[in-house]
Amino acid sequence: MLLALLLCYAGFSALCLSMPRHHDELLGNKPSARRARGLKLAGWLLLGLSLWAAVAAHGWSFGLVDWFAVLMLSALSLVLLLPYRPRLALALAGLSLLASPVAAWAQG
Amino acid sequence: MKGKLASLPMSYRLAVTSRVLAAVFGGYLVAALASVALTLWLPLSRAEAVVTGMTISFLVYLVAVLWCFACRTAWSAWVGLLVPSVILATVSGAARGLGFA
Amino acid sequence: MKEGFRQSMAWLHTWTGLVFGWLLFAIFLTGTLAYFKDEISHWMQPEIPARPINAEASLNLAQSYLLQHAAGAARWLIDLPDARDPALTVRWQQAPNTPGERGKFESRTLDAQTGSEVQARESMGGEFFYRFHFQLQMPYPWGRWLATMAAMVMFVGLITGIITHKKIFKDFFTFRPRKGQRSWLDGHNAVGVLVLPFHLMITYSSLVIFMAMVMPASILASYNGDVRAFYDEVFPASKTPERANRAEPLSPMAPLLAKASEQWAGGSTTRLTVNNPGDANASVVLSRRGDRVVHDFGRAVTFNGVTGERLGSTPEQPVAMAVGGTFYGLHMGHFAGSTLRWLYFICGLASTAMIGTGLVIWLGKRQLKHAKSGVMPFELRLVEVLNIASMAGLVVAVAVFFLANRLLPADLAGRADQEVNAFFVAWALSVVHAVLRKGRKAWVEQLGLAAVLFIAVPLINLTTPWNLGVTLAQGDWTLAGFDLTCLGAGLFLGWAAWKMQRAGSAVSVKKTPCEKPRPIALEQEVN
Repeated sequence: MLLALLLCYAGFSALCLSMPRHHDELLGNKPSARRARGLKLAGWLLLGLSLWAAVAAHGWSFGLVDWFAVLMLSALSLVLLLPYRPRLALALAGLSLLASPVAAWAQG
Repeated sequence: MKGKLASLPMSYRLAVTSRVLAAVFGGYLVAALASVALTLWLPLSRAEAVVTGMTISFLVYLVAVLWCFACRTAWSAWVGLLVPSVILATVSGAARGLGFA
Repeated sequence: MKEGFRQSMAWLHTWTGLVFGWLLFAIFLTGTLAYFKDEISHWMQPEIPARPINAEASLNLAQSYLLQHAAGAARWLIDLPDARDPALTVRWQQAPNTPGERGKFESRTLDAQTGSEVQARESMGGEFFYRFHFQLQMPYPWGRWLATMAAMVMFVGLITGIITHKKIFKDFFTFRPRKGQRSWLDGHNAVGVLVLPFHLMITYSSLVIFMAMVMPASILASYNGDVRAFYDEVFPASKTPERANRAEPLSPMAPLLAKASEQWAGGSTTRLTVNNPGDANASVVLSRRGDRVVHDFGRAVTFNGVTGERLGSTPEQPVAMAVGGTFYGLHMGHFAGSTLRWLYFICGLASTAMIGTGLVIWLGKRQLKHAKSGVMPFELRLVEVLNIASMAGLVVAVAVFFLANRLLPADLAGRADQEVNAFFVAWALSVVHAVLRKGRKAWVEQLGLAAVLFIAVPLINLTTPWNLGVTLAQGDWTLAGFDLTCLGAGLFLGWAAWKMQRAGSAVSVKKTPCEKPRPIALEQEVN
């Protein structure tokens, strides 16, 4: 479940940053159209990858359940963290991205 | 409510009550008839058809409830439920008549 | 209504949310606790020893016990212990006096290793929360009907909420704390939208679970009123055979466990139901432990009680039943391991919080208009009292339930009922308190009380042999986890009480910045 969680969190962070309002709040400027599109794409891609990770680990039945659970948890964590510790929220996104290959290897 | 319940006209309150009754009871009727129609027409084994009909019925109930409050007048809430009820009852009757049940 | 679709849906959301919110809050909070019902039961009956699991041995012990004590019963039930629930429970049911009624049940807990009765303190344990959340302490079947009606209203509430939330995608990541009413709404939207898959699943599945009871029209139509025939088709294994009225000894059941496991490609048995024990037409129904997401209704394996031969073969579950089974399985979460179970719990708390924040917002908006006059009209005061009692009061009652378990003497007669009574008495007192005290004070005092009571739980436990020091050292994470969670809950409630107190000393009638005013003016429109 860890890999799916990391990818979900990173994915949601990307989607969040792709929105001008949040990009402005978090990074101080509005994103260019290209960057916004890139972040959106990356975000969805990461979410898709997390689904694949969840199903690969435990099959479709448990995998889907795990994925939804992880989806909801990561979204909730991000949204609740953002107004209080925005830099931590972003740092965690970066860390998740970095840690994913390790988690993927551990999942085997 | 802003504490001025007394200021709401009776006609409004009657209309709301009417819609609520339509939604609760009329909605249930439509949902039940829909489940029966589905059950009788679905090309599945009896138990499967029954289970499918019941499972879907709540979606029908939902739509009926939303209709009762979205439509323009309290009367149209009832009419909007009556018409599908008649249709569904007819459809179910037809299934019976054609020997599906 | 006349105002337009979205606005009429907002009206519907607001009113269904209010009228059923208090009941739904209670249903969701107790249902959420029920995900840990086995753990709660273990904490509330710590005398039941957790033994290494040996299904066959336990079953033999259970069978000989029942032979000794319940030979004449119409039905036996044996619940085998597992990792989460160490109890070996035997129950027996006498034949009902009038057909169609439910016969009386008797229940005993046995030591899974020695077979002797365990003198665990009588308690409902976590089962209390589980049963309450769908029976509401009302006589059968009224509680279930009310709970299912509440579920339908919840469904309407969720969908109307989605329809009403115009900026559902734009505001997906939006949460702005420290902005008064705006923050409550953001919070309500956050726990609502971000956990939506769970809310929808849990609500619709609860309708499906009781659908045969609340929506029987199709059964009656298809089976010409013979409801029995329907159940026999859906649950072929649970057909109770007629008594032959010839005495024949029941064969040992332990070998059946392996046979059943074969049928299930490795699954294990959680419960055995023996129909007509001691009769020639005895049957033994083995129910599978929930380890799949899709609950298989037809998968119970039945054997002839005397000869041990398998009765009937159960074919693969048809799609329609599998769909029903999926709803059931997802709702129950039997298959969930510890991490997923905590996630279920968190999602349940989110649902509860969604309802709670909704109730607070409902009142908050309307209170603003009366803040200057200082006098609250009766209807709003009623809502305020109900809000406080149904939320803070309920939480106090839960803590009281746990404390009663430790404070009532272990050998008190009828103590299981007394624990439940303590829960309801505490809840009732919270209503009285909320009536007598001013709104904000009542909140602070009840939340503060709840905090103190929850923190008291592990403290009181220190006086028992199952205190935190011992359980942590032994690695009994169930017991230790319970104490720690109570501590955590107490700290959270204390923080909430403190925030409430602070907010009270700086009452502001802040105008929310340029947000479109929610349509509370609807009721003024003449239809």
